[in-house]
Amino acid sequence: MKSKSFLTALLILVVMFAFTASVNAGGKVYKLGMSLAITGPTSDAGNPYAKGTEDYFKFVNETKILGDDTIDCTIRDDQYKTDVTKRNFEEYLDDGIVMYLNYSTGSTLGLKRDFEEEEIAVLSASYHAGNLDDSNYIFLPIASYSDQLVNLAEYVAKNHKGGKAKVALFVHPSAFGRGPVSDVEKAVAAGLNIELVEVVEHGKDLDNTAMLKRLMSKNVQYVISQTIQSPVATMIKDSQRLGLTASSFGEAGKLTFMGAHYTGGNDLIALAGNATENYFWITAFNITSVPGEGTTKQLALAKLFGRDQKAADSHNYAAGIMVAQVATEAIRRAKAAGLEVNKANLYKMLNGMNGANAYSPYTTTGPVTYSKTDRMGVDMLQIYSVQNGVFRAVGEPVESEYMKKIK
Amino acid sequence: MSANSWLATGNFFTKYKQEQRTFLTSLDRSFFTFFLVLLFGWPLLFELSNKYMLVVDNILIAIVAVMGLNLVTGFAGLISIGHAAFVGIGAYTIASFCRTMGDSHIIITHFWPVLIVVSGLVGAVFGAIVGLPALRLKHLYLAIATLSFQMIFEWTIQFMTFFNQGQTIYVGRVFWFTGKVGRKDHYLFWYFVILTIVILLGFGIRNLLKTRYGRSLVAVRDNDRAADAMGMNPGLTKVYAFALAGFFAGIAGALHAYVYRGVGFESFTLHESIGYLAMAIVGGLGTLNGSFWGPVALKFLDLQVETLAETVGQYMPSGMNLATALKPFTFGLVIVLFLIFEPRGIANWWRITKSYTKLWPFRY
Amino acid sequence: MSYFFQIVVSGIVVGSIYALAALGLVLVYKSSRVANFAHGQIIAAGAFITYYLTVSIGVPVFFSFLASMIITFFLAMSVEKIFLRRLIGEPIISVIMVTIGLGSILDGLIYLTPFGSENFSFPVFLPQQPLSLGGVSISWTQLVGVIITFILIGGLSWFFKKSTIGISMRAVSDDQFASMSVGISVPRVFGLAWALAGLSAAAAGCIIGNITGLNFDTLHAFGIVVFPVIILGGLDSILGAVVAGIIIGLIQQFSSGYLDGNWGLSGTGEVMPYIILVVVLFFKPHGLFGIHEIERV
Repeated sequence: MKSKSFLTALLILVVMFAFTASVNAGGKVYKLGMSLAITGPTSDAGNPYAKGTEDYFKFVNETKILGDDTIDCTIRDDQYKTDVTKRNFEEYLDDGIVMYLNYSTGSTLGLKRDFEEEEIAVLSASYHAGNLDDSNYIFLPIASYSDQLVNLAEYVAKNHKGGKAKVALFVHPSAFGRGPVSDVEKAVAAGLNIELVEVVEHGKDLDNTAMLKRLMSKNVQYVISQTIQSPVATMIKDSQRLGLTASSFGEAGKLTFMGAHYTGGNDLIALAGNATENYFWITAFNITSVPGEGTTKQLALAKLFGRDQKAADSHNYAAGIMVAQVATEAIRRAKAAGLEVNKANLYKMLNGMNGANAYSPYTTTGPVTYSKTDRMGVDMLQIYSVQNGVFRAVGEPVESEYMKKIK
Repeated sequence: MSANSWLATGNFFTKYKQEQRTFLTSLDRSFFTFFLVLLFGWPLLFELSNKYMLVVDNILIAIVAVMGLNLVTGFAGLISIGHAAFVGIGAYTIASFCRTMGDSHIIITHFWPVLIVVSGLVGAVFGAIVGLPALRLKHLYLAIATLSFQMIFEWTIQFMTFFNQGQTIYVGRVFWFTGKVGRKDHYLFWYFVILTIVILLGFGIRNLLKTRYGRSLVAVRDNDRAADAMGMNPGLTKVYAFALAGFFAGIAGALHAYVYRGVGFESFTLHESIGYLAMAIVGGLGTLNGSFWGPVALKFLDLQVETLAETVGQYMPSGMNLATALKPFTFGLVIVLFLIFEPRGIANWWRITKSYTKLWPFRY
Repeated sequence: MSYFFQIVVSGIVVGSIYALAALGLVLVYKSSRVANFAHGQIIAAGAFITYYLTVSIGVPVFFSFLASMIITFFLAMSVEKIFLRRLIGEPIISVIMVTIGLGSILDGLIYLTPFGSENFSFPVFLPQQPLSLGGVSISWTQLVGVIITFILIGGLSWFFKKSTIGISMRAVSDDQFASMSVGISVPRVFGLAWALAGLSAAAAGCIIGNITGLNFDTLHAFGIVVFPVIILGGLDSILGAVVAGIIIGLIQQFSSGYLDGNWGLSGTGEVMPYIILVVVLFFKPHGLFGIHEIERV
């Protein structure tokens, strides 16, 4: 009896799986592939990112930006596992994709050689500087984490009053976190006027009191983070209750917290509430709390496809749209130039995005510039800080000076 | 022995040795040979896409790993929640060679069979070391000790610059007699290699279980004190079980490194360890053929769910959540259903089918 | 010196929260010899239910805290009834795997809700100003966490010592057959143990969620993080869980306070508990307070 009911259950499952559907579309169809973490680690970023890409490609097809031609982009969840990413990538290749959109640092590095052999342009959601080493086909949408951290350090050096600013780095215990540390050290060696007091690697801490007190005893005034949101949230909440958080930039005897792309955004405010006040965050995306033309379009897109407010406001949603925009633009340019839309031509189009041909998507704070030697997209980074519970722009978008010096 | 070597019409054994033969009848042997020919032959007839070839390779690697896990958890009854770490040890053995000699050194590209065996041996050494607590620990305490090993492994890999802090360490393309194995033939080539290894190791286990070393594993599982009284050394047996598991895992890891042409720590996390355990259980603990069924079933389930999720996703435009929730949900459901309704795994269905066909059409 | 004391205080605070999170595991193990690998998911579920009741429905925090404890109480009880009861008497590996599968199912269910991949935080309901004593500070959230931990643990200890049901639970953990023969319903005791575990998980979830913010990854990881605690304490001892929790909390704080940043080490707080655990197990294979079972052939 037992085994009978089990068999019935299995049969139902099998029938369910056998049920598949097919898609038909008119005009030419350009295939793209994307693999990212919609569940599992970092899914809080991956989920809105996927939504952004999906929505923008739908928008392209519906508003006929490419004429009758359409883009068919398969989006797959890889749960942050490199093995699964590789499987997805191989399948996309079998399907004949013309460009590939990737997500995690681990898989971008892991598949680097395959990208080289296949000569396929890849846009990655990981802004790890190491992605570009020994590689010709990986394009970073925006400036690398190293650029972001050095840029923040430059901001500290410029705006700190009195003597040398003492800075600590708070990084993720992995290559993702440690990667930019050496670049910051190099920038300091190249004459950047800050003192790097300590590099802290966090764990799954429930209490950072000891660490914060240690930093205070070393007269640290600035903590620059390169990690994900939740450890930063724990740290700044601890700092707030200890009364150590500076109420304005560089307040003497207090700590000013700053961080790179994946530490900030509305998710941080969601996690840490008012402890985020005066948190400095650097990225290259327009955010909805600083309304502009780009954010209006972003919100309209989200509304069009029925996304909730949280997804619409997410900078990861913007980042997802942005890679889709770049991919679409490359295809549009290839078509406009009368070239066949294939891997080689799209690669050429991406490499040609510079000078007068630079592409300005509405989601970013600066133009996307790629060339044979520079595969870092948006170089102009914008610093935001939390004022009264929302991120506000601080100054104009800037490009890091010292990154050029240490290259 | 019956007069007819093709059909066993009854039990005619007169010596224990006869009972221990791998194939009881010539029919069995012919079937098996035919099956092997089929396994080696089909890729030459059909061309499978790279994706599915990769999936097949991946399944075979998982089979190697699960065979090891089945030895330690299924046969010797010692729960290991750190098996992915052992697989990682094998992969990182290859990776250390690549780090020290460069990833396209002749030793790595030409002498890869040697390196695969070396990785297995390194895995065995680590297995024995991790097995040491088994001398004193039992049941859940031991399981958690292996969990600790998993955690320590992950931390070490991510901490040491020698291991590139867990980032990918590349492994070069290998050479065969025909020259460099290119991208096009890569997965097919490794299919044949891994298949050969699976068959060799499968026979290895089959024969091991017929010896006192194999039986001592089972004896220790069923009751280690009784085994002690019978003159076996349960402590040594447990350590040796872990070493064996480490050997299999090490080989699986080396194969993983070569097939994926790189080693990164994401492939050897706790999540993977749990995946191997699930495969062993769904396949059937304490059976050899269970080690084959489990990986095949779970990896294909994974693919099917992915297709299903996409189908579902098409019908609900902003229902991304439902589609992605299906994967962990079905994974969990399959494990739970199996444990509740078929705790002996797919291997038990195989056993039933076999005993049914044996007597067909003349049933009792 | 205040640095040292701060680390001690932080260690004790963190340790008691670990103890609370570990309590559920101990309760389940004590009665039914099951290691529950789905505990992290129940912790997360408890936190999310509290958040949902407080923010989306508008129940005062205190009541939604109680309500979520009641909900997880019944959730865990039904989980036991549906899944675990069928496995009584099965080998330990099957039972472990069922809880792992269960965790995966709960993962799937939580991914259905926005909680699976979005971040939230509890509204502020405690004073923000920390308590300070001679340079050592402790936040209200942490203090309330510690108080709740000790109330729960004290309550449960009393329950096990004095109440009839508690005593019958202890009887079952001692000998199932003997307790059946004196008329104790063993399945009911198992159900109750799970239910109590669910209740303590919700409490732990709320406290951890208050400290770290509500992120599914972070929260359910605590189901694994506390394993060293229960093993070190001995799987079936509530007192052991408290002592081991505090020891592990102290080890973590001391290693990140004194080891990190020196000799090129970093992130040692993550791994030290496991190293210490393995070392301790070599000398005390049943943990610090675990019962040394006598085995017979």
